[in-house]
Amino acid sequence: MKTSTKILCAAVALGALAGCNDYLTGGDLTNDPNRPVVASLGNLLVGIETNIWGLVGGDPARTTGILAQQFTGAGSQYQANIETYQLTEDNTNGAYASVYGGGGLVDVKKLEEGAVAAKDTVFLGVAQVYEGMLMGTAADLFGDVVYSEALQGTPNPKLDDQLAVYDSVQKVLSAAIDNLGKTQLPGLADADIEYGGDQECYTELAHTLKARFYMHTAEVRPDAYANALAEAKQGISSDACDFEGRFNSSSGQQNFYYQFEVTAGRSGYVIPNQGFINLLESRNDPRRAEYFNAKGNDLSAIRKAPDFQQPYVTYDENTLIWAEAAYRTGDQVTALAKLNEERANHGLAPEAVTGQALLLEILTEEYISDFQLGYEAFSLYNRTCFPNLVPTGSKGGPIPARLYYDASERQTDTSIPEPGVAPNTLRNRDNPPNAVSDGTGQACVGQ
Amino acid sequence: MGGFIRRGAFVLIAAVMPVVASAQEARVTGRVTSEAAVPIVGASVRIGAMGLGAITGNDGRYSFFVPAARVSGQSVVITARLLGYTEQSATITLRAGTITQDFTLTTAPTRLSQVVVTGEGTSTTREHLTTTVNSVDTAQLQRAAQPQNVVSALAAKAPNVVIRTQSGEPGASASIKIRGNASLTGTNQPLFVVDGQPVDNSTISTNGGDQSTVTQNRVADINPNDIESIDILKGAAASAIYGARAANGVVLITTKRGHPGQTRFTFTSTETFDRVNTKDILQHSYGQGRNGVDGSCNTPDCVALRWSWGPLISGPSYNHLEEIFDTGLTADNNLSVSGGNERTTFYVSGGLTAQNGMIKGPNNKYNRATARLKGTHELTSRLTIGGNFNYIDTRGNYVQKGSNVSGLLLGALRTPPSYNNQDYLNDVGLQKPYRFPDATSPTSFTQVGYYDNPFFVLNSPGNRSELGRSIANVNVDWQALDWLRVQYTLGGDYYNDSRLEALPLTSAGDPYGNVTRFDINNLEIDHNLIASAKHGFRNDNINTTLTLGQNLNSRRYRQLFTFGEQLIAPTPLSLNNTTSYQDNEFKSLRHIEGYFGQLEADFYNQVDVNVGVREDGFSTFGSSKQFHTFPKASIAWIFTNTLGNTDQTGILSFGKVRAAYGETGKEPPVYGAITALSSQSLAGNYGYGDAINTRFGPGGLVTGATLGNNALRPERSREAEYGLDLGLFDQRADFSFTYYDKRTSDVILAALPVNASQTGAFQTVQNGAKLTNQGVEISFNARPYTSDLVSWDLGFQYGRNRGNVTDLLGAQFIPYNNEGFTGAIGSSTLGYAPGVIRGKDFARCGYTTTIQEVVDACVGKPTGALYIDASGTPILDPVDRVIGDPNPKYTMSFSTGLHFGQHISLSGLLDVRKGGDVWNGTRGILDYFGTSVETLDRTQQGIFGKNVLVDKYPVVVGPGAGQVAFATPNDWQNWYLGNGGGFGPVGAQFIEDGSFAKLRELSLTYNLTGRIPAAMGGFSSIDLRLAGRNLKTWTKYKGLDPEANLGGAEFLTQGLDYFNNPQVRSFVISLGFNR
Repeated sequence: MKTSTKILCAAVALGALAGCNDYLTGGDLTNDPNRPVVASLGNLLVGIETNIWGLVGGDPARTTGILAQQFTGAGSQYQANIETYQLTEDNTNGAYASVYGGGGLVDVKKLEEGAVAAKDTVFLGVAQVYEGMLMGTAADLFGDVVYSEALQGTPNPKLDDQLAVYDSVQKVLSAAIDNLGKTQLPGLADADIEYGGDQECYTELAHTLKARFYMHTAEVRPDAYANALAEAKQGISSDACDFEGRFNSSSGQQNFYYQFEVTAGRSGYVIPNQGFINLLESRNDPRRAEYFNAKGNDLSAIRKAPDFQQPYVTYDENTLIWAEAAYRTGDQVTALAKLNEERANHGLAPEAVTGQALLLEILTEEYISDFQLGYEAFSLYNRTCFPNLVPTGSKGGPIPARLYYDASERQTDTSIPEPGVAPNTLRNRDNPPNAVSDGTGQACVGQ
Repeated sequence: MGGFIRRGAFVLIAAVMPVVASAQEARVTGRVTSEAAVPIVGASVRIGAMGLGAITGNDGRYSFFVPAARVSGQSVVITARLLGYTEQSATITLRAGTITQDFTLTTAPTRLSQVVVTGEGTSTTREHLTTTVNSVDTAQLQRAAQPQNVVSALAAKAPNVVIRTQSGEPGASASIKIRGNASLTGTNQPLFVVDGQPVDNSTISTNGGDQSTVTQNRVADINPNDIESIDILKGAAASAIYGARAANGVVLITTKRGHPGQTRFTFTSTETFDRVNTKDILQHSYGQGRNGVDGSCNTPDCVALRWSWGPLISGPSYNHLEEIFDTGLTADNNLSVSGGNERTTFYVSGGLTAQNGMIKGPNNKYNRATARLKGTHELTSRLTIGGNFNYIDTRGNYVQKGSNVSGLLLGALRTPPSYNNQDYLNDVGLQKPYRFPDATSPTSFTQVGYYDNPFFVLNSPGNRSELGRSIANVNVDWQALDWLRVQYTLGGDYYNDSRLEALPLTSAGDPYGNVTRFDINNLEIDHNLIASAKHGFRNDNINTTLTLGQNLNSRRYRQLFTFGEQLIAPTPLSLNNTTSYQDNEFKSLRHIEGYFGQLEADFYNQVDVNVGVREDGFSTFGSSKQFHTFPKASIAWIFTNTLGNTDQTGILSFGKVRAAYGETGKEPPVYGAITALSSQSLAGNYGYGDAINTRFGPGGLVTGATLGNNALRPERSREAEYGLDLGLFDQRADFSFTYYDKRTSDVILAALPVNASQTGAFQTVQNGAKLTNQGVEISFNARPYTSDLVSWDLGFQYGRNRGNVTDLLGAQFIPYNNEGFTGAIGSSTLGYAPGVIRGKDFARCGYTTTIQEVVDACVGKPTGALYIDASGTPILDPVDRVIGDPNPKYTMSFSTGLHFGQHISLSGLLDVRKGGDVWNGTRGILDYFGTSVETLDRTQQGIFGKNVLVDKYPVVVGPGAGQVAFATPNDWQNWYLGNGGGFGPVGAQFIEDGSFAKLRELSLTYNLTGRIPAAMGGFSSIDLRLAGRNLKTWTKYKGLDPEANLGGAEFLTQGLDYFNNPQVRSFVISLGFNR
């Protein structure tokens, strides 16, 4: 019955509401006409993929890009809070919670359960790759995070040790690799906006992620380089399987740097770091033009385009992990070969260096290729103190090594310490520690 | 059915041929005069028991007919009353023919005989009120500081009715809060009821209250010239009859109506000249640059520095505030015609308000055209039908404001004083923002960061609204039996608000340009049926009225928000001209089914008792219990009547004590029961503009941010109120005191944070929080001197409210993330009133617990002392807390009027607010940019505790206490670029005391009657009024205006100042012709 009819019915009945007894329920009174309540496995996958681009490509990436001195916070909050290391919980508001909320772990778990129920093993494997990527990234950014007790409904879920989180991530990625070897069912290929359901790419991505997260534990776990090496050998083998944000020009689907600078009009707040530009120019690196505009005061037109396919995990990264891990495990020949493989990928002439010079070349290439690659440049610096950055804080250093948890998560979880109690100058409460010297043995001035 | 038709036909004949019956009817006529034998115009003369009467004309005469069927030689009481006079009654014997009854009324300074509308078809006289109801009449509205918006016009009119108008711009919203905040969600605006019909008063900005443009609150659509009176129901006992919509009070608006007799014409024309209330908050000495070095540039596509930390200006210097304003003009023209005969009355009016705001350029205006027809017709002596139709058309053009790189003041005030903003277009027709003064092409704007040139902003035509609204009802008033009356109203309030908000090409907010279309469509249908029975006991010494009613209400809301990006051609600013757009649609439907009853009893004209209950069913209540009960009871004892002083004379001429208790509610948010999915990805939605949807490929969905709750109940306010009303010195003065204690439980937290790592959601909606509001209201009115030549009246009122959040379901605070900024965010926090500002402060003794060296240095030092480290500067305390409370400690006002004879009146109103912090975000940001007047100190030595922030932090401790913190201009600059400036994390340093006293109104009225107006065209009178509004402000606040209210009526949190547009000072000339 229409609203007006009901009113009329009531009016005519003058209080005798016998015919109008469901005036308060039904239709749009009870059901939300705006939002769906059921999602297919495909819907969940797209939601997870867009969410993870947001986590690795959104505001925290700008913040850590400034801390790693690839960007400079030149205006407003980015100048006054980030460039000066006056970080607070406000600077990450929302980022930590989004690891778990919609499109995050809660939907990954839903997708995994759905895939199990549908006996779709490959789909399960894909979900597990994203679980590993999500939680490993959370550990990179925040240190100790909730994982083993996550989404159990347990009040005040405990923070897992950063190393324990990395261990769990390795396990889930291994499980993913197993599952990705099975036969694909219809559905995944149509839904997947990242790889179109390409099992090979997912398998390689899983190996590269394993290698990446092994590297992040290397300063406290001597065998990590060997493990990383083993994984890198099976990791992303060409640019074709790079994990990228599949942005396009449609409103609300553009690259985050475009949204930040153009849609939100924040151009000039975050600008290229002059030191980083100098590094690129001193090496005649073609990526100087690929990354930044000629004046050096903004991203290049390619990188700022709304549909720029922003890379987050790449063949280059995998190749350089291979190179560094080989070097660290004593295989300089492979290290040099892999370094030159990566250089060739950018039209650079091969190097012929050995010893510490080789290591520095590898680290330099890593620092350059890690630009805008999620938080990799930041992680590289925390692990190696390379490059040996001079702090820009209002009181000098040390350079923050992690972001604070969200205030809302701290308020609702007694396990999370107050920001003053848990400083952000260390990567976590216990391990791994920040690097204390750079690749040449010099003291780390930013720590 | 046949009988019904015949009776209907008879009624029709009777209506068109009243003469047929006139032979046996009675005509009651007479004259009403004052003690000085002057005719009293507009007095009501009625036979209450029969529901018949008339209003006196210009000669003081009245006349009405009593139908023959009701004339039987009986004795009836006839009463003459008019506000400001003591009512008079007489007994007459009804018989066929003419009966003459004259009245002489004596003036009464108190308003005991004033009829007060108490809601749902009931009214009473002020004498017999058992609760606090504040009334505002049409004359007070017209004198108000911002009379175009009926909510603004209520400023300083009633104690604890706190009004804050967003700015002096045309179309700005006004927030009204009655006795504080009764809820922690929404904006705590009261329910507005016009002629018995609820009307919408939402304020919905297009792109967020902190930025976007000003946005009207929708009750401002009503033409104040159509309003006869406003009655404000404040406490729960008064408003409980409105059940779960009444927690924040109810504002009852009664519109004017026609009266039998001569047809009256009234034409008023008011011209208002508005100037901004500016003050010099800028420095005019130092130019663009940094480190004392010039940072300007003027080569093609060069980017200049954003700061004014450059050298002393050698050339011209510009005042970037004054230059963007000029004099605004509001023309308000109203014509009304009213009248009627014994059976039919009508009121027709047309109003046109054209406001041209004080911002330069053609895009700062707001026009409202209204038409109203209100009529009644007596079908039979017992059955009256009526209709009330109001159509409103508003059109506005606005200017971008607030926290917005395309906002007017943001760009204007950040501009170095050395830069000429007025010359705002370059040779190729592109805007010249100070950071990018010579662009070569529109695309070059996409490569740099800048703020729009304010003249580009104010000339941008992209912000408009067009609204059409009709508020209409039909009603029936049936005196079924002598003791039984049935009233029925079926009303509809429908509007469609169509908005455009576009940034043209090269806008800093989006150099590619964008277009937002926002259409709001709202329909509220209200069915209200009331039956009331009157009965007298014991020779009418006990008079009772029993009222029973039913209310059905339906609210349907739809909005369609479409955001289009990247203009294809520079114009038109249309969605068709964008490369891509995305929609966001929202609609909702809500129903109410309510039943109410109340019993009023007057015992021996000494004790009044009122008990009642409302049973309310809302579709938004959880399905487990869809009906909730809201009772009320109140009692008043007129002890002076008991003591025998019924003629209201002597020193204590009247005295009443009263006590009341009531319960009211507030409904939960619509669809709060549902846990749904979202097509907006949640990561990336922090920070600036990182938003990504999931509509890629086949489309994605993510778990929604909010956990639904199927057990939602209404919030419930329980309020006890005690009061004393006194009349003094032969009613030459009156005094009223009220104390109330309002306890609200089941308060809904619409965004109660839940742990995402535990639940996968960010928040839930849940009942269970608690808050209290306690307060005192005092009013005093006197007419110390009255003679035929001169009379003098004065009034005083005082209101104090203390809000306190006592339970937040375990949370320490609830942030309102849309209300405020990083560093100063609105919140509700345990132990404070709702809407306090949270943020961070410098490390201080007694507050800082997590920094060991501070704790050590503070041993034995006073609480609040500022810790200064070895470098001579304070350090950040990273733990956030409450840094400011925008809720005033008390508000009060003084009014006075001097009347010379009948012709000249002089009146004034002073409005005082004590307390109420304001976050002066503008100051912090201008410190950063080096354009604030504070940064003139850059050549002095700066020492904390001596000349830096001493208002805020007088006492310093720590290793660097007393040390020179800033020795050079660069030291100051670097401080303001970091922790000392507005982009730094320390919001507390910009919290200021927002106390003020404002001279709201000063007006002189000349009322010309007699031969001159008659000769000028048959006018009975001509009114001439000269007035000044907001003439003077006394405040310590350093910003433009302490009435700062960034989000207007859209925010619960008040007291946020971030490049807000200022309030205005106005001069008014008004001419009224009455015939």
